[in-house]
Amino acid sequence: MRKKTFAVAALLAAATLTLSACGGGDSGSSPVAVVSEDGKQQAATVLDQPFTKPDLVLTDTRGKSYDLRKETAGHPTLIYFGYTNCPDVCPLTMNNIAVAKKQLPQAEQDDLRVVFVTTDPDRDTPAALGTWLKGIDPQVVGLTGKFATIQAAARTLGISVEAPHKDKNGKIVSTHGTQVVAFSPKTDGGYLIYGEDATVDDYTKDLPKILKGANP
Amino acid sequence: MRRVKAARPARPLAVPTAVITGALLLTGCGSDADGPAELSVRAAYIPQPVSDTMAAGFLTIVNEGGTKDELTSVTSTAADSVTLHETVGSSMEEVTSLDVPAHGQLVFKSGGNHLMFEKLKSKPVRGGTVTVELHFATSDPLEVEIPVKSATYNPQTGQ
Repeated sequence: MRKKTFAVAALLAAATLTLSACGGGDSGSSPVAVVSEDGKQQAATVLDQPFTKPDLVLTDTRGKSYDLRKETAGHPTLIYFGYTNCPDVCPLTMNNIAVAKKQLPQAEQDDLRVVFVTTDPDRDTPAALGTWLKGIDPQVVGLTGKFATIQAAARTLGISVEAPHKDKNGKIVSTHGTQVVAFSPKTDGGYLIYGEDATVDDYTKDLPKILKGANP
Repeated sequence: MRRVKAARPARPLAVPTAVITGALLLTGCGSDADGPAELSVRAAYIPQPVSDTMAAGFLTIVNEGGTKDELTSVTSTAADSVTLHETVGSSMEEVTSLDVPAHGQLVFKSGGNHLMFEKLKSKPVRGGTVTVELHFATSDPLEVEIPVKSATYNPQTGQ
């Protein structure tokens, strides 16, 4: 027994020295390590009190009027607020959803409504949105219109976006929403929220449930 | 009693082994307490972009030295403009430099800091690479060949 204890102690000592020898351990600047400890089980947050679908009429990528409630009634729907001049989170979020969607049977892909609402309507014209979304999934509905209308709709979903403004170098700074809201085809209520860290696998696992309005 | 005695010789052996291992690793990592910055790059990738003019890049700059340095600019033959961005809330702000702390690292990751490539000469495609040069306040520049991954690449899962 004793022998075993000593061996373990020696290993521990070696491990400790290895850590301190390579530094970095004490700097606290390694968020990667923290993320891996999350042990995340479930990407979606199920809302006790679902959001009402915003009463939103905007312009789609063909330049036509799009009434969100009318067009998506009875369909499973995902809504995200972002902008096309966003290199990181917006395309990642939309691509994650698009890749997961393509794994559904065609009939279910056609049933699902994925709606991308721009937070930068001056730059994201119907044509610009259309070009960008074509590179992700042509079935995604892209909407643009007055920023105030978009901001008000986002606010009803607990999503805060600011109007684009210029920084000191004259570059336009826009904001994107941090959440994707999923609406049930049964109730049309926004009952699930996904954060930025939701992956392709999370959406792949959950989309079949969302198609039925079930909890993942 | 006899058994315990028999096991004793293991103790003086085990401890020096651990100490030697640690000592070797210390020199191996070259983390001199006050030495100059020793920079290296790992985990670099570019997700294949949607647009053919703009892309984001991610990497980690590790400093094994005892002195901090600063990343002051990034250049690339693939793009006319590469800038450093910090994510503040849900918008991004361009910054002129970022610290690489002593015995620490500067992390660019999705949702946090990122390199922003603009005016790309051609669209980076999965399987290709984009060469960049990182410039620092004191250390020599580092050239990095950044692999282009899928649009949905997740460094946590490697997919």
